[in-house]
Amino acid sequence: MTESATDTIQSGGSAATAAGSTAAVRPAPAEAIALRNVTMSFDLGRSKRMTALEDFNLSVAEGEFVALLGPSGCGKSTVLRLVTGLEQATSGEVLVEDKAPADLAKSHRLGVAFQEHALLPWSSVRENIALPFRLARRAVDWQRVDELIRLVGLVGFEKARPRQLSGGMKQRVAIARALVLSPDVLLLDEPFGALDAVTRRRMNGELARIWEEQHITTLLVTHDVEEAVLLADRVVVLTGRPGRVRHVQTVDMPRPRHADITRSAEFRAVVDHLTDLLDVDRKAE
Amino acid sequence: MIRRSRLAGLLHLWPIVALVLLWDVWVLANGYTSIVAPRPWSVINDVVGNPDAYAIDFLWTLAISVGGLLLGMLLGTIAAVLISLWAPMSAVLTPAALIVRSVPVTVMIPIIARVFGYEVYTVLVVTVITSFFPAFVLGLSGMASAPASSRDLFVVFGSSRPASLWRLRLPYAVPNLLLALRITAPLAVLSAMLAEFLIGQQGLGYLFIVARSYMEIDRAWGTALVATMLSVFAFLAARFVERRISPRFT
Amino acid sequence: MRLRSPRWLNNTIGVLILITVAELIGRTGIAGRSWPPLTDVVGYLAEPVAQATVLRALTATAASAGWGLVLGIVFAAIAALLANFIPVLRPGLDRLASVLNAVPLIALAPLLITTVGRESTPAVVAALGVGFVMFVAFTAGLAGASATHQDVFSVFGSARSTTLLRLQIPVSLPTVFDGLALAAPTAILGATIGEWFGAPRGLGVLIVSAMQNYQVLLLWAAALTAALLSLAAYLIAVRLQSGAVRRFT
Repeated sequence: MTESATDTIQSGGSAATAAGSTAAVRPAPAEAIALRNVTMSFDLGRSKRMTALEDFNLSVAEGEFVALLGPSGCGKSTVLRLVTGLEQATSGEVLVEDKAPADLAKSHRLGVAFQEHALLPWSSVRENIALPFRLARRAVDWQRVDELIRLVGLVGFEKARPRQLSGGMKQRVAIARALVLSPDVLLLDEPFGALDAVTRRRMNGELARIWEEQHITTLLVTHDVEEAVLLADRVVVLTGRPGRVRHVQTVDMPRPRHADITRSAEFRAVVDHLTDLLDVDRKAE
Repeated sequence: MIRRSRLAGLLHLWPIVALVLLWDVWVLANGYTSIVAPRPWSVINDVVGNPDAYAIDFLWTLAISVGGLLLGMLLGTIAAVLISLWAPMSAVLTPAALIVRSVPVTVMIPIIARVFGYEVYTVLVVTVITSFFPAFVLGLSGMASAPASSRDLFVVFGSSRPASLWRLRLPYAVPNLLLALRITAPLAVLSAMLAEFLIGQQGLGYLFIVARSYMEIDRAWGTALVATMLSVFAFLAARFVERRISPRFT
Repeated sequence: MRLRSPRWLNNTIGVLILITVAELIGRTGIAGRSWPPLTDVVGYLAEPVAQATVLRALTATAASAGWGLVLGIVFAAIAALLANFIPVLRPGLDRLASVLNAVPLIALAPLLITTVGRESTPAVVAALGVGFVMFVAFTAGLAGASATHQDVFSVFGSARSTTLLRLQIPVSLPTVFDGLALAAPTAILGATIGEWFGAPRGLGVLIVSAMQNYQVLLLWAAALTAALLSLAAYLIAVRLQSGAVRRFT
């Protein structure tokens, strides 16, 4: 079942990319997401400014899974909002697939899931997952929608409405919705932040499995160290106020990573190291 | 089962029964003649006994209020959509809506009547104006109630403005618009009757003033009774619609 | 970063546009003779005789509306407290309130003129309109305390009256002032409806008689005055409301 799903997803993905970029002759950029010398500050009124990011650099390679880890208020969500094109940097350069993020959004090549599931309460699970097709003004590929429902394990709930679902199920729908158009870049802002610890671990496992089948360039924002280490190829630890890169941890544990990997000594060592880094940061404040 | 529902009915209806009884007691106690204040039974008799004397005017007022209500709400919703699509529109629409909101319809009717003439559609204009504001304001706040995360999501998925409006903000406004319908329904009946009272040639408001001037006291009070029922009916119907549809959008 | 004119400026521009349009309609006469230029109306209001007439009417209407507002609020508060302390009465009172609200105020006129007389009808009609709005606002406001807050109070063994005083009333204030913003213009609406049915004086009377006698300038002058009165009542209530929100939420 999963295998057939994989096939179609990948073929769907390449088709979408080919259709999306007219300049297909050009070789695919090795750098999928690039933030160069980005500074982001907000006006707080009365001539006060808050600097969320300062001289920030980040590069995510094609097909790479990068997690941004940091305490709350460190500006990691700001990074994600810059990459989605929801915010404009005060200075510096933000490029996704060598283009401005807003251009990618306009050509419907970004997938996104937030901490709030943001499902439409009046639509069924199936309709919610089909939404990106409608916003892109494409005919809904119902086969694709049903594959994703299978992929996130919601078979039998197609007709259910969001309020009939548990928190974890809602997030699965949100993830399926993010993936349905086979986006070039997947952006996840604390997608499991509102879930309890047990559900969160299970959803981490699910996301690892789903990602294994697609290898979409992914940027995950989280404050959960285990989540970051379990899922990511690289973990970028941020300092707070203003946000800067404090440490980059490459995680080269073999994939597919299953939940039992979290008990291995290697995994624990990385987690402890990163946790310490976060803690030092807090003491420093 | 039956006893219980009757009990529940009593809990809900005691004030109405009490009102009718009070009315009767009050007429008897003061020794009013039927010219001053009729007893409830003779008013009810007049309505039940001469349905055709009320029917046409009843239907007329019903049609005008429902028509004006729907048209006014439609215009109010359109105005709210215009503001949400093009912010500078609010410069003109917000103060205009404020005036419509706070200036009593009793002040507007005479001016509207003077400007538009003593015509049937003048009554319609009055109900349209009454129905405009609640739909406008509640529609606007309903559209604004779409969660920020959903709006972000639509942006990131590259949604066009009309699509965001149609698929996100308008559906979020539906419960509020239905609330506006419930609030406005009795108001539309009231303003239709007020306009008919002053300028109409037909309708319950007109029947009321005619009956009063011919000293047909039962008829005048009967008109008030029928109008009350129409208004209550409009309210209940709107509430029924609201309870049916609203849950689908939340 | 973004260029956005402040709200008040926007609204001021809007009001100026509306006034200009109204003036132009009057000047060009496209709406007929019944729509005078606003400057003429203001000029008319400057005449001492007209001023006295309108002022007398304004005083009467403002008094009726004011009394109606006070009466309506008092009765609504009593009813809401009854519903709060004697829950059995609640469904009936709710129903009564919604029926009374649905009763077209005009239908009550014959009843009121025989009972309270022509002089007091405007205030009573105003009180009825205000009463419903405020009853709904009071009951919704008193029920508005969160379950957690109510649990905290009952765990501490708070008496019902203490809960009312220390929790429910403060929580209800923003809603109550919301209701007031609705009720203030309703009071003026009610007063003018009452005046239509033969009160001796008031803006409602003046407007109707001016309409029937083709006194276009007087009609507009009285209507503008009533509109301004209503607008002022509304804006004051809105100001109070935002104050209450700032203090109690």
